[in-house]
Amino acid sequence: MPTSALVSAFIESGINKLLRLDEESAARLTSLKGARLIVYLEPLPNAFMLVFSERIDVLSVYESFDETVANLSPLDCCISTSIQTLPQLKETNQLTRLIQQNKLNVEGELAVAQKASGLFQQLDIDIEEIIASKTNDVFAYQSVKTVKTAHEKASNRVAALARNLGNVMVEEKPVAAHRLAVMHFSDEVNALRDDTARLEARLKQLEDPDN
Amino acid sequence: MSDNHNTSSPVESSSAPTTHFGFKQVDKNQKASMVANVFDSVAAKYDVMNDLMSMGVHRLWKRYTIDCSGVRTGQKVLDIAGGTGDLTAKFSRLVGPTGRVTLADINLSMLEVGRDKLRDRGLVGNIDYVQADAEALPFPDNHFDVVTMAFGLRNVTEKQNALNSIYRVLKPGGRLLVLEFSKPTSEQLSKLYDVYSFHILPKMGQLVANDAESYQYLAESIRMHPDQETLKGMFETAGFGQCDYQNLTGGIVALHRGYKF
Repeated sequence: MPTSALVSAFIESGINKLLRLDEESAARLTSLKGARLIVYLEPLPNAFMLVFSERIDVLSVYESFDETVANLSPLDCCISTSIQTLPQLKETNQLTRLIQQNKLNVEGELAVAQKASGLFQQLDIDIEEIIASKTNDVFAYQSVKTVKTAHEKASNRVAALARNLGNVMVEEKPVAAHRLAVMHFSDEVNALRDDTARLEARLKQLEDPDN
Repeated sequence: MSDNHNTSSPVESSSAPTTHFGFKQVDKNQKASMVANVFDSVAAKYDVMNDLMSMGVHRLWKRYTIDCSGVRTGQKVLDIAGGTGDLTAKFSRLVGPTGRVTLADINLSMLEVGRDKLRDRGLVGNIDYVQADAEALPFPDNHFDVVTMAFGLRNVTEKQNALNSIYRVLKPGGRLLVLEFSKPTSEQLSKLYDVYSFHILPKMGQLVANDAESYQYLAESIRMHPDQETLKGMFETAGFGQCDYQNLTGGIVALHRGYKF
């Protein structure tokens, strides 16, 4: 319906604007020309299809995963996963585990998904250059430098705050246990679990000596 | 609304058969040239006016039509009354270099605007431009995988002839999608829509395209177009199977779909 058309229009416009900001992306996009990537994301009501040409067209798909898979072409890849699992897809060594856990379902040409992932992960956008093209070099340099400095300061502040908060909770007002104490506690619990299991086995043996 | 739509009305006397042109009854043979005059007049400002009149929503309706088309790489698509090429542009990328898209329009002015626009966007190589009457399509039988017609059917003199002609050129298994203004499903929306169509639209046309009459015709032609169920019946009469329609924006527009088996 038009709502999903609106969403796909926003995605399409955003993706293509991003790709235009990185000149190198055109070469990566060429390797995907003619391919289609269909993504089913729970709990979204419909899937999205990315069609690769000189740009990326995004269409809404209203068929079920099985119906789509039944009509895949050789250059198509169909993925079904959830929004929660999405961040884990960045780590390619986790894919097998996710498939085994039924958190990820991949059908068709896997290379399409890998290339599409590479297309976005390798995006290298020079913000300073973009601002300079619309204003001037000095303004662009100063703006980016200011933002970078502010970001660095904010990150340091947040890290220091986290450190201080940790110290307060563990040392000064012991509302939380120290990391070593937690590890020791966990070891003790494991040892107790093993002892209990051994005792249970021994009791069973005594109750039924024939076995 | 549904009874006096597409075919000629009973003739009052023994004169030539008539049909509607907006709310007017005109000689059937004159309608095509009268519609052509309207589109000759609005062609240059067509895209701007569409965006303005629909507040951009026409792009979503067309996008939804493309979503429902199921077009695939290598297929042949016919975009009838394709006008300024909104659907054709997307289809051209979807079918890729091994497919073909034919942009057909009866009006040369619209076809030229569409051709220039698409060429300026670098869309060349898999698009054909054909000036064609939807009632007598100049293509072989069983030729296209998908046929679309967005906001064109209501301007056709004999709509049933157009649907029959489309059925002929579609391949078995092919689908037809007709996006067209229709009948709002709620009474309140219908009243609001009437006020907009008959009072605001012609004024916008006058202001932007310097042509109030053409936009008055637009509003009138929408009211004379068959409603959802009537059009679905016409699809079935032409031979289409699994016919259905979906109301968009409260039925202001409907997307009809039918398959040739």
